[in-house]
Amino acid sequence: MKISRSNEFLVLAAILLAGFLSVYALSDRLAEAKPQLPETYEDEDLSLQGEKLKGFAFGFEGLIADWYWMRSLQYIGEKFIKASDRTISLDDLKPLNPRLLYPLLDNASTLDPQFMAVYAYGATVLPAIDAEEAIAIAKKGIENNPDEWRLYHYLGFIYWRLERYEEAAETYEKGSKVEGAAPFMTLMAARMRGDAGSLDTARAIYRQVYEEARDSQTKENARLRLLQMDFFEESEVIRRALEEFKERNGRCAVKWQEVTPLLASKSLPSGRDLRVDPDGNLVDPSDAPYLLTDSEGRCDVTLDRDKTKIPIK
Amino acid sequence: MLRNIFAIARNTFREAVRDRVLYNLVVFVLLIIGCAVFLGDLTAGNEDRTVTNIGLSAMLLFGVFLAIFVGVSLVSKEIEKRTLYTIFSKPIGRGEFIVGKYLGLCLTLLINVAIMGAGISAALVYVGASSLAVSVWGAILLIYLELTIVTGVAILFSSFSTPALSALLAFLVWVIGHFSSSLRDLAEGLGSDAARWVFGFIYYVFPNLSHYEFVTLAARGEVPPASYIGGAALYAIVFNAILLAITIVIFRRRNLK
Repeated sequence: MKISRSNEFLVLAAILLAGFLSVYALSDRLAEAKPQLPETYEDEDLSLQGEKLKGFAFGFEGLIADWYWMRSLQYIGEKFIKASDRTISLDDLKPLNPRLLYPLLDNASTLDPQFMAVYAYGATVLPAIDAEEAIAIAKKGIENNPDEWRLYHYLGFIYWRLERYEEAAETYEKGSKVEGAAPFMTLMAARMRGDAGSLDTARAIYRQVYEEARDSQTKENARLRLLQMDFFEESEVIRRALEEFKERNGRCAVKWQEVTPLLASKSLPSGRDLRVDPDGNLVDPSDAPYLLTDSEGRCDVTLDRDKTKIPIK
Repeated sequence: MLRNIFAIARNTFREAVRDRVLYNLVVFVLLIIGCAVFLGDLTAGNEDRTVTNIGLSAMLLFGVFLAIFVGVSLVSKEIEKRTLYTIFSKPIGRGEFIVGKYLGLCLTLLINVAIMGAGISAALVYVGASSLAVSVWGAILLIYLELTIVTGVAILFSSFSTPALSALLAFLVWVIGHFSSSLRDLAEGLGSDAARWVFGFIYYVFPNLSHYEFVTLAARGEVPPASYIGGAALYAIVFNAILLAITIVIFRRRNLK
């Protein structure tokens, strides 16, 4: 079949026009009709076990461990982003259903048993998900690195959070005997036996976690915990001032300016000062204004859930 | 006209078989058997998922390399060996030649994909995932449709360029084809009109191969709905018609002396 040159172009132009118009319509329809991966996809069970991967990774075990480590951080991060419309307590992350965090950290620490950040992260985050998994990963760290005193601190910290003070004391004591262990370990071993539930002990532990943390997330968690300790300390003093105000005036204070003169005479056990913002409102350790509450005649102070950065139980 | 096209297609298929193109199947089958037998211990009880992922991904990669490397040499080999002149001394048009060559390679790919698919199904049955062994065929069909488009792209480039450059360009189109959808979404987020136009243009003018991405879903046991397969097939037919029309026009103007 012979087609002249000019007709050939016309035919081609017609094909291209009709073709691309169809492609335009089809492409968007197909994109809309394509079945999507379910939201739970990120919770698919892991395909590979770190233990079995060892020796088959062409020497890239460290690299794969890094991948699992980064994946575990992203995994928790994504869970928080998806739950941003809900209030999630740092003490209980179970509502996020982060069931893959332990296998991810376990794989990372199996492929690289000296990966300290994994153990530190596991010790601070896993207790809020599954305490036994947290203990398991810390114990695994000690088994793999018996000369690393920080791992005893992580395990002792988990026991302390679980209020298993005797086990915490034993762990801190063992850790204090490791060469090069910080003096803090001996101090903690003693405190766990006498003063484990005090605010000072909690503050000392979180300060140590903060100073030892090598990754930003663990550091940030510890910083928030320290702010929480400051809040506990402040709230005790403020509550006493609010009670005093009620005794004198027969009612609860309705604005901070009413209580400020009373608070000025109070001091915090740690030596810090209470702070007010330019509007005269008392602010919490994260600089968000405190809220005054009056619940059936009981005057109290609370954190502003929408503004504060302090973890709320 | 149809007789000429089918004769060329049949000969292209025979030539591919003679060139031992189907030998890649041996490598593929060994890979799949290896996965099924040895990965059972390595995976955390997810052998079926791993076999499906590796099998379908390997099928796509083997298929793309086959489509590109055989596709770009279809025309150049005929010119190099001077067999093209023998063909054109007969009452065969250049358009018929191109369409015949294209269909011949598509037939080769069909046989390849079918055998590879049977291999994956057998491996899945071996690891005890009989239902997946059946459900993966939806994804396999989509892979085949994608390969027909890649073949069209390879033949288009080979009609005016050297085999090496054609292979490179065809591979780049394959990569862009898989990224175009994500790039368009990215451009939407950038808020730049220029980026939106450029990536929108790429999205519609380049073959959008993300329509054929179904491996991850298939590994979960998902089956593409018949209407979706129908739409994807229609998209492939339309795009291949565009590619072949351009190829024929370019090839008709090419000086073969």
